[in-house]
Amino acid sequence: MSAGMDELTPRRRMLLGLGWVSFLISLLGPVLANVRFLFPNVVYEGESVLKLDALEKYTVGSITFFADKKIVLFREKDGFRACTAVCPHLRCVITPFVGAPGASPDILRARCPCHGSTFDGRGQVLGGPAPRGLDFFHITKSPDGRVVVDTRKVVAPSEHFKI
Amino acid sequence: MATESPKETGRKKAVSWLTDNRVARSIFRRGYPDNDLDRAAVMFSNFFLHVLPARTHVHSLKPTYTWGLGIISLFLFVILLGTGALLMFFYVPSTERAYSDMKDLEFVVSYGVVLRNLHRWAAHAMVAVVFLHMCRVFYTASYKAPREFNWVIGVLLWGATLMMSFTGYLLPWDQLAFWAITVGSSIASYPPLVGEYIRTLMLGGDTVGQNALIRFYVMHVMLLPGIMMILMGVHFWRIRKDGGLSRPPAPLSSPAPGEAAAFSPHKTYMLVELAEGRTPMVDSQAPEEEVMSWPHTVFRMLVVFVGVVAVLSVVAYFFDAPLEELANPDHPPNPAKAPWYFLGLQEIVSYSALAGGVIVPAAAIIGLMTIPYIDRNPEGQGTWFTSGQGRRITLWSILVIIPVVIVLTYLNEHYAVRKLVPGASQIWVDLLNPGTILIVLFAVGSLYIWRRTGSSRMGALALYSYFLTSYLIYTFIGLYFRGANWAWIWPWQATGLH
Repeated sequence: MSAGMDELTPRRRMLLGLGWVSFLISLLGPVLANVRFLFPNVVYEGESVLKLDALEKYTVGSITFFADKKIVLFREKDGFRACTAVCPHLRCVITPFVGAPGASPDILRARCPCHGSTFDGRGQVLGGPAPRGLDFFHITKSPDGRVVVDTRKVVAPSEHFKI
Repeated sequence: MATESPKETGRKKAVSWLTDNRVARSIFRRGYPDNDLDRAAVMFSNFFLHVLPARTHVHSLKPTYTWGLGIISLFLFVILLGTGALLMFFYVPSTERAYSDMKDLEFVVSYGVVLRNLHRWAAHAMVAVVFLHMCRVFYTASYKAPREFNWVIGVLLWGATLMMSFTGYLLPWDQLAFWAITVGSSIASYPPLVGEYIRTLMLGGDTVGQNALIRFYVMHVMLLPGIMMILMGVHFWRIRKDGGLSRPPAPLSSPAPGEAAAFSPHKTYMLVELAEGRTPMVDSQAPEEEVMSWPHTVFRMLVVFVGVVAVLSVVAYFFDAPLEELANPDHPPNPAKAPWYFLGLQEIVSYSALAGGVIVPAAAIIGLMTIPYIDRNPEGQGTWFTSGQGRRITLWSILVIIPVVIVLTYLNEHYAVRKLVPGASQIWVDLLNPGTILIVLFAVGSLYIWRRTGSSRMGALALYSYFLTSYLIYTFIGLYFRGANWAWIWPWQATGLH
């Protein structure tokens, strides 16, 4: 025969409450540990510093689309610029930029095949659902004279790597 | 008593030879159920049937009431478990092997293609049938007390069914798989604060690769089926506990005050336990309108099962499940379309990821779950569309929302936020798009109907009809009117992928 809460002495009621609270707290540890377990500490994914070809390989006015590395390299008369080829909406790979060779970045157009966002050569969103523009990355030159794009460092779209 | 024909006695002999022997009795305890006591015993002495009542109300057996949608969903689930378990023997969830395993199933393994087809088409059918079942339950007002919580579990089961499909179509590791998961996991990253964590949790990293594949595999073959089986168990058990399938209130059920209840000679009453209050079981049943579950219910279930298997077999034999090219992380297909049941969502996501991927689905799920707690008047239980007025309101809600959705889509095409104000803040795009505007219109429209009719049921009917119709229209748009770069096309302009 079980006693209702009201029939317990205050001391017993307090102990019972304490028991319940400690039981619930004791659950917290295993739950958090299991959630933490699911977050990987090391992932073996692609590199974030991308080494491209020699600087002189890219002629002035050219736009090179690296589908595998998911970046776009602009060689303009002021220098190099590089932006991501991943749409900031839902991470589809955008189409290559379209425009006459040497055209101003304002005239260039790239679109996302998944949901139709449109970007200009400065990475700005012209239409569609993309919440922000394309990220531009920091460029350096490697000792052997190749273009190196560091996708961890985001820079202003107008910033050029001057030679 | 008329003399029995020799044929009749022969049949009886055959039946008793099969059922009246030591082995059969050790399994079934009783002989062939040829009297009501044994027929009742079939239900409560058989593990697989004990979830069914001994007697079933005739209303529950009306094909035009339930259309058998719930039981068809169950059978599809069972078929999916069976075919899925067999497919697992030939499938390795590795990015290097998964796609070639699919090709082996298609071209090398005996009956592999049929099994894969069965699994794929049963999954598509389940998505459709579970949704139709939800519509049936809604339009017959079966979510009302005491079945509110079972409706909530049903909504969860609908979500779990969609998650099963979503996790399932990553496994072939083809183009659809890769880009659907890329997009799907990116949608998951949009909720504020927790979004990026959810995405990492789904993918086991930052890109769709081996970690994501194994996670989706474990979800698909282990966690989600387990969750669904538990939810289904509770769902079915609660049908019994909540008084069987819904039906119109029986006129004879409650005796007038001071009058003794009318007991039925065909029903066994027993005092099992002393409890306060009246259970819904006793409350609203006119025992005379019941038939023995064996054979009436069990036989109908068998017929439905055979029908489901027959239709699926024919479809699986003549139509092959699609398999796109091997996943290519460099290029999404163009157009990159989700399976048909997610195309409506893809269309709204193409206005705004936060609105289409988070706000609208959350509003839909929360709205569906809370409907029985908001619409509490018991009106119309067990009757399709409640009344003539309900029928008219449902029809008009559907007819009104069609032009509304079309006009909104047109306005968005020509006067979207970014078209009017180039470089507008993303907040405005997230707040002002067809998805969010529709939520507001739905709320206003259904509250107006509620006020106008004075009935929350009528408001609920309008709300659900808005939701259903717009969901279908957006699916239709995504399916037939969107082409490369998600631009507008006419259905006849549709080209193949790429």
